[in-house]
Amino acid sequence: MSTTAPPIRPGPFGRLHLTRSERRNLRLGLLFISPWIVGFLAFLVYPIVYTLRISFTEYTGFGEPEWIGLGNYQALLQDDLFWISLYNTLYYTALAAPLGVVVAMGLALSMNQPLREVPLYRAILYLPSVIPLFTLSFIFLILMNPTQGIFNQFLMAIGLPNINWFGDPAWTKLAFVFLAQFGAGQVALIFLAGLKGIPVTLYEAAMLDGAGVWSRFRNITLPMMTPIILYDLILGLSLGLQVFTQAYVITRGGPADASRFYVLYLYDNAFRYGKMGYASAMAWILFVITFVLAMLIFRWSQRWVHYENQ
Amino acid sequence: MADSTYRDLVRKLRGGRISRRHFMQSAAALGVSATSISSALRANPSYAQEASEVVFWTTHTEPELSSLQNIVDAFNAGNSDVQATLVQVLGDETDTTQLMTAVRGGSGPDVYMLDRFIVAQRAAEGVLQDLSEFLGGEDPSETYVPFAWAEANFQGTPFALPFDTDARALFYNIGMLQEAGIDPAQLDIANGPITWDSLAEMATQLNETDADGNFSRMGFAAYTDQAWHYTYGFAFGGNFFDEAACEVTPDDAGVVAGHQWLYDYVAALDPQKVNAFAGPVAATVTVPEEQQVFISERVAFTITGNWYLKTLPQYAPDIEYGVALMPVPNEGDESATWAGGWSAVIPQGARNPEGAWQFMQHLAGEAGQRTYLEEVGNLPTIVSLLEESSLFTDERLRFFAQDLLPTARNRPPLPVGARYWDELTSAWERIYLNQEEPESALAAVKDRVQPDLQGFCPIDVV
Amino acid sequence: MAREQPMAGTAAMPAIGTPAVGDARRAWLLKQFREKVVPRVALILVCALFILPFYWMVVTALKTREELVMYPPTLWPSELAWSNFREAVEYIPFFRYLFNTSAITFLTIVGSVISNPIIAYGFSRIEWPGRDKVFYVVLATVFIPFPVLIVALFDIFANTPRPVFNGLEVSWEGNWINTYMPLVAPMFFGNAFWIFLMRQFMMQIPFEISDAARIDGASEFRIFSQIVLPQALPAIGVISIFAGLHAWNDFLGPLIFLQNETMYTLAVGLTFFQSQHQLQYSLLMAASTLVVLPVIALFLLFQRTFVEGISLGSLK
Repeated sequence: MSTTAPPIRPGPFGRLHLTRSERRNLRLGLLFISPWIVGFLAFLVYPIVYTLRISFTEYTGFGEPEWIGLGNYQALLQDDLFWISLYNTLYYTALAAPLGVVVAMGLALSMNQPLREVPLYRAILYLPSVIPLFTLSFIFLILMNPTQGIFNQFLMAIGLPNINWFGDPAWTKLAFVFLAQFGAGQVALIFLAGLKGIPVTLYEAAMLDGAGVWSRFRNITLPMMTPIILYDLILGLSLGLQVFTQAYVITRGGPADASRFYVLYLYDNAFRYGKMGYASAMAWILFVITFVLAMLIFRWSQRWVHYENQ
Repeated sequence: MADSTYRDLVRKLRGGRISRRHFMQSAAALGVSATSISSALRANPSYAQEASEVVFWTTHTEPELSSLQNIVDAFNAGNSDVQATLVQVLGDETDTTQLMTAVRGGSGPDVYMLDRFIVAQRAAEGVLQDLSEFLGGEDPSETYVPFAWAEANFQGTPFALPFDTDARALFYNIGMLQEAGIDPAQLDIANGPITWDSLAEMATQLNETDADGNFSRMGFAAYTDQAWHYTYGFAFGGNFFDEAACEVTPDDAGVVAGHQWLYDYVAALDPQKVNAFAGPVAATVTVPEEQQVFISERVAFTITGNWYLKTLPQYAPDIEYGVALMPVPNEGDESATWAGGWSAVIPQGARNPEGAWQFMQHLAGEAGQRTYLEEVGNLPTIVSLLEESSLFTDERLRFFAQDLLPTARNRPPLPVGARYWDELTSAWERIYLNQEEPESALAAVKDRVQPDLQGFCPIDVV
Repeated sequence: MAREQPMAGTAAMPAIGTPAVGDARRAWLLKQFREKVVPRVALILVCALFILPFYWMVVTALKTREELVMYPPTLWPSELAWSNFREAVEYIPFFRYLFNTSAITFLTIVGSVISNPIIAYGFSRIEWPGRDKVFYVVLATVFIPFPVLIVALFDIFANTPRPVFNGLEVSWEGNWINTYMPLVAPMFFGNAFWIFLMRQFMMQIPFEISDAARIDGASEFRIFSQIVLPQALPAIGVISIFAGLHAWNDFLGPLIFLQNETMYTLAVGLTFFQSQHQLQYSLLMAASTLVVLPVIALFLLFQRTFVEGISLGSLK
C-alpha cells in the first residue's frame, strides 16, 4: 500500500477547466482548510501588512502616527545596536539550531533503547523542557554562578578555568546556547517518532550484509531521518531568531551588549523606548531575514534530504 | 465555594438588595479580585450618592505591595465617595509594557505607580495626563524636595506627584574591617568622606584569593549593588545633561573621571578575576538575597541604598555594619550621591480622573508617605515629613533623610530616560570589564542616545 | 502500511558483532554487555545532566533560608522546609493563576485538537487542484516570527469587541485585551507545525479505506470523523501535549495580552518572586515545582500514548 501522497495534477493555474470531480474536491478541500484560511488572513496577513504600514511612521503608540517614509529603515542602517543585535542573534542561531538537531537526535536514540526502564529515561530527558523558562533561567544562573555554582565547581575540579557564564561577554551567548539544549527533549520526541517509523527490515537487511553500528546509522537512520532533521532545523532557526525570554530574564542584553538579541532590542524599542514605528521596521526586517534564511536552507536541503519516493 | 457566594452577591447587587459599598466589601473579603469587582460594579447602574471607583496599578511586589494596600485601605476607610482598588501588574522601573498596552487597549488604570525618572519619557510619548488642571493654581514645588518635583515635570508641565525616594551610601562591615586591622572610625560620618583612593587602599587589604588564584573575598567589588554609572558619575561631580545645549553629556569630564577610577581599580586587580567574583551583574536582581556578597560577608564595602537598612537585619542579623558618606575624588571635596524613587500618575483614558486625583493626593500626600516610611522604610519626598524628627529615630535612617537627601543628585528627567539608562549600562559594563577606555565607551553612549533626544529639543527641566 | 514498531535503536546503537562460533557464551556475554550495560551507563550519565535543573529546583525549594546561604551549597537539605510551599502559594495568588493557566491550556488543547486534524485532512486526504501550492504557504508561515506580529495583534485585539453572554442574550462590548481570547482564539485556526505533523500522519493511513467509504456514499466529513480521526488519535495526543505545554509555559503572550492579577498565568506570575531589590529564590523554586508537577504527572501518564503510539512513517 502506498504511503506517498496521491499525485497532484497541475493546479488551477496550469489548466483552466476543471472536471466536475475536481471542482467538488476543490470545494471540499477549501472547506476543510477554511479555518486555516481565516486564521491566516486575520492573525498573519493582516498584522504583517499593519506592521508594514506602521514601519513607515514615527509612532510612540499614542496619538497619530507621523508618516516618515523609509526614515526608520534608513535610521536602522545607521544604528550600531541594530547590527550588534543582528550579529548576536545570528551567532546564537548558527550555533543553537544545528546543535539542537544533534542533541535532539542523541536524545531520541537514547530514548529508543530497548531497555526495560527506558520510560524513566525518557521522562528524565524530557523533564527540563517542562520547567518554565523563567525558572529555568534562575536555576542556571545559580548552577552556573562562577563562585558558587556546582556546575562551575565541577568544571574547575576537572581543571578548567572558572567562567562567569552570564557575566563575561565572551561566554554569554554560548551560555544561552547551552541552556537552550535542555529544551531538546521536546523535539527529541518527534525524532523518536521518526526513528520508530524506519522499517525494521532495512536494518535486518543491512545486518545480513554485515554493516556495523555506525554504518547502519550513517546509511539508514540518518538518511531516513533527514526530513525530520530539516523540520527541526527550520524550527530551530525560527526559534533561534526569536530568542527573547532567557535574555529578558537573565541579562537584559548585557554584559556589554553581548546578549542584546534582536527581539530583545525590538521589544525595548516598542515598549520601553516608545518607538513603535522603529520596532515595526525591525519586525519587518526580521521577517525578511527569516524568510530568506529558510529558503536558503530549503534549497540546500534538496541536496541531502532523502525522500522515499525518489 | 467562594465562587457561588460571589455569584450570589452579584445577584443581590443586581437586584438592588445590597449597596455597592457593601458588595465591594463582601466581595473583597471573599478574595475576589479587584477587576472582577469593578467589572461587576460597572455592569450595574450606580446611584448618585454611591462611591466612584479608582483602579490603582503597581508593579511593586512584597513587601511594598502590602504597604500600598494599607495606604489604599486607609484611604477607602476615610472616604465614602471614592473607593480605590490596588492591582498588581507585571513590569519594573522602565518596563511599563502593561501600562502602554492597556492604555492603548482602553483598559488602563486610573492611577499608575511610575518610576519617577521615566515620567518625562512617558509624558513625551503621550501616555500621561497633564495634572495642571487638577492642581488649579496650586504650586507643589515647595511641598516636595526639589529634585523629586523636577522629575515629576516635563517641559514645565506637571505629570506626576512624587511618592517615595531613596539615596545611596557606602555600607561597610565593621567586623571584617577590624579583623584586617583597619579602624572603622575613619569612616565615621563626623570625619567627613574618605577619598576613593583610600577606599581602594583599604579594600585591597581585605582581598583574599583561593588556591587557584580566584578571589574568595574582596574588600570592594566596585560594580555590584548600586555602584552604577550614575553613582560614579555623580560622585565625581559629573553632569549627565546640558540643558542649554539640549545634549546628553555622558562624556562630561566628571562622568569620565568616575568611570576612569572604576576602570583603573579593576585593572589593578585583574578584570577577569574581579568579574568572576562579581558574577553576572545584570540589570535585574539575579541572585537570592542570601547569597549576595555583602550579606554572605564576602565583601566588606558595598554601595547600596537605604532599603538595605531593612534588608540587612532580615537576612544577616549578625553583621555589624556602618554607613558612610559616598567617597570623594579628592580630600576636601563635597560628597555626592543620587536619589531615585517612584511617583503617581494618571494615564490617558483613565475612567475616573477626578477620583484618581483625590486618591493620588492621599497616596503621595503626607498620609501615604508616612505609612510607606513606617512600614517599608522608604524615604518620603515631602519636605515637612523629612524634617519631622520623630519619624527618624533610627540614626542611620536619619542620616539618609537629613544628611544625604537635601544634596542628592537625580538622573536627568529626559524623554529618553530608559534608553539613556540602558546605554550607560552597556558602556559601564565595557568599562568595568576593561574592554574599552571610559572616554570612548561614554562617547558612544552619546552617539546612541542623542539622536533620539534631538526631536524633543529644547527641553525645559524645572 | 501497518505501523511498524521496530526497535530501531537495537540496530542503531548496540551492535551485534559477528559472534565467534566457538565460544558462544563469551559472545553472549559480550552482546549483553554491549546491549544492556553500555547504553545504560551512557543513559545514566546523560540523565544525570538533564535531571540536574529539576533536582536543583526541588532541593532549593526545600531549603531553609539559613541553608540557602551555605557555601558551598548543600546537595540535600538537612532540614526539609515544607513551609516554603505554603509561603509560595500565599506570596502570589497561586491558585488564581493556576486556574487561569489551566483554563488557557485546556482551551488551547481543545482548539488545537479540533482545528489541526480538520485542516490537515484537507491537505492530505482530499486531492484538490493547487493543494500542494497552498500547503507551501502553510509551511512558509512558520517563518513569521511571533514578535513581528505583537504590535499589530495587540491593536487588533484591542479593537475587537468580545461577546458577553448574559443568559441567552449576547452583546458585543469592550475588547479582547485582558481576556483569555487573544491567547486561545488563534488556536482554533490551526498552527503550521501541527498541521504539518498531522498531515504527515494522515498520509500514512491507507487511502483505500477512504475510497471504499466514498464508493459506499459516505460524506467527506463522515470519512474524516469516523475513519481517519480514530486512526489519528496518537498524533492528536502529541499535538495536545505540545500545544498544552506551550500554553502552560508561554511567557511573551500573557506578558503582552494579560493585564492584571486576576488574569495572569503561572509562567508570568512567577516573575513576582523577583522584586526591585530582592529575589525570593526558594519560594520561586517551590512555586515552580508546583507548576511542573502536574505536567510531569501527565507525561508519565500518557507517555505510552504519545511515545509508543506515534510513528511518523516515512516523511516527506
